[in-house]
Amino acid sequence: MITHPIRRSPSKGLDLAIALAGAFAALLSFFLFGWLVWDLVRLGLPKLSWSFFSGEVEDAGRGGGIAPILVSTLGILACCLGLAIPLGTGCAIWLSEFVRRGSAWARLVASGVDLLAGVPSIVFGLFGMVFFAQTLGLGFSILSGGLTLACMILPLLVRTTLTALESLPADLRPAAAGLGLSKTTTTFRLLLPAALPGIVIGITLGVGRALSETAALLFTSGYSTRMPESFSDSGRALSVHIYDLALNVANGSAMASSSALVLLALILLVNSAAVALSEHWLRRRSSAS
Amino acid sequence: MNAAALHISGLSVSYRDLTALREVDLAIPEGQITALIGPSGCGKSSFLHALNRLTDLVPGCRVSGSIRLADGTEVTDPQTDVLALRRRVGIVFQRPNPFPQSIRRNFEIPLKEHGWAKSDIPDRIETVLREVGLWKEISDRLHQNASTLSGGQQQRLCLARALALEPEVILFDEPCSALDPLASGVVEDLILSLREKVTVVIVTHHLAQARRIADHAAVFWTRDGAGTLVEQGPAERVFSSPQDPDAILYLNGARG
Ligand SMILES: Nc1ncnc2c1ncn2[C@@H]1O[C@H](COP(=O)(O)OP(=O)(O)OP(=O)(O)O)[C@@H](O)[C@H]1O
Ligand SMILES: [Mg+2]
Repeated sequence: MITHPIRRSPSKGLDLAIALAGAFAALLSFFLFGWLVWDLVRLGLPKLSWSFFSGEVEDAGRGGGIAPILVSTLGILACCLGLAIPLGTGCAIWLSEFVRRGSAWARLVASGVDLLAGVPSIVFGLFGMVFFAQTLGLGFSILSGGLTLACMILPLLVRTTLTALESLPADLRPAAAGLGLSKTTTTFRLLLPAALPGIVIGITLGVGRALSETAALLFTSGYSTRMPESFSDSGRALSVHIYDLALNVANGSAMASSSALVLLALILLVNSAAVALSEHWLRRRSSAS
Repeated sequence: MNAAALHISGLSVSYRDLTALREVDLAIPEGQITALIGPSGCGKSSFLHALNRLTDLVPGCRVSGSIRLADGTEVTDPQTDVLALRRRVGIVFQRPNPFPQSIRRNFEIPLKEHGWAKSDIPDRIETVLREVGLWKEISDRLHQNASTLSGGQQQRLCLARALALEPEVILFDEPCSALDPLASGVVEDLILSLREKVTVVIVTHHLAQARRIADHAAVFWTRDGAGTLVEQGPAERVFSSPQDPDAILYLNGARG
């Protein structure tokens, strides 16, 4: 009887190497993320308390809390999403459902949107200062900041919504047309619900970008640390606060870490809220009577 | 001979510079089953889709000629209300295509669109689901997503959804070719049960099926690079003594 020695084929060895490299990369990214969070927790957690969330900013941020900052941040985010979501979804619907694919108009708008996506945020900041703050007379305000951020994340929302709409099953539209459904019904009752998961991902990414933006906000919503009383007041966003504490305030790094921890939690919170909301909505849609 | 539900004359369909169908004249008898047969690519689907203007969805597709409904409505007239037309001339596709929503929503969306009162909708759903024999199977899970049904059930759902709108004509584009033989038989029996109630136009590659169900048959063929109608008449006559040489070979199974 002849016994063949058991040998690994070369491709098996390659598989193993790639699997190991992959595992190493995964571990490394996990380690880096863990380290980042750990560092923030180590430096920031000791200062976190109820009064940190409810207090005014004192001593340029070295003391007190971040209540006005949180209010400004949420105000800016609300303005931003309030404009960007309807505009972005509307633009994507128009491009994918109402303009012939590949028409000159569609190509022009789509490439304009893609071009905007590559513009550095500081340029949006300058544009926002000139257009919203000065030309429209909104001044240094939460509104100016929010609208500037809306312009900044608009390309992202349009792109993700467009991709979601274009990757829907191809037989959905003929099925709807065959039943004599109007374009409006087809879009709002069939296509948008089906594309919702993709749209939510876009919004989530947009929220992440908006919450972590500083450059576009410096000249638009400003850096006043007072509690804003309306959308036309100036207000400092969390990211701007962190930037200021870390860079301009001596001994500010502990408070910067605490604020960064809050920012991280906020992003996580907004994201899970978006996912939960869309799941709830989808369930209701698919079983509504 | 019955009156014609659809009167088609000089119908041509082209995609940009490709002529898919040239000069078709055909009368579809009311309340009967008309089978369209012929080899792949001879323009059967293009013909079918022209009948309720689904050709409008294809950029670059042009339709010329005349298609008249029984009441004189001209299908190809740009002034014609396409949405109302598609309610009157429904379609069931080759691949079952329920909306990825609840079974109930699959009916509610089109019924509401065409003006059914909200209070009438549950009864309407029950009636048509009974008609396609699905009521017993799925009446307790109308809230479930329609894509959880089996392929055969989905196709019957699509038929029920088309029937719900009380169409005068239903077009079928190879409705059984994505189903197993058993489910295919069920759908075939359902189509037979529609005779006298609605006018049926069905494209099928299954000659035995066409022979079983059709009252009227039309054979399409590609001539000079374009699909055209080469033979038509009562099914029995077309199948037993076709006149066109290509149709003779095709129906005897030698070609196509
Ligand atoms: N959307 C389209 N764009 C361009 N050409 C098309 C389109 N649809 C069909 N055609 C062409 O028109 C001709 C007829 O196609 P059609 O689908 O009507 O044939 P068919 O008889 O239904 O074929 P099958 O039995 O394979 O379904 C073919 O040459 C096809 O390539
Ligand atoms: Mg076809």
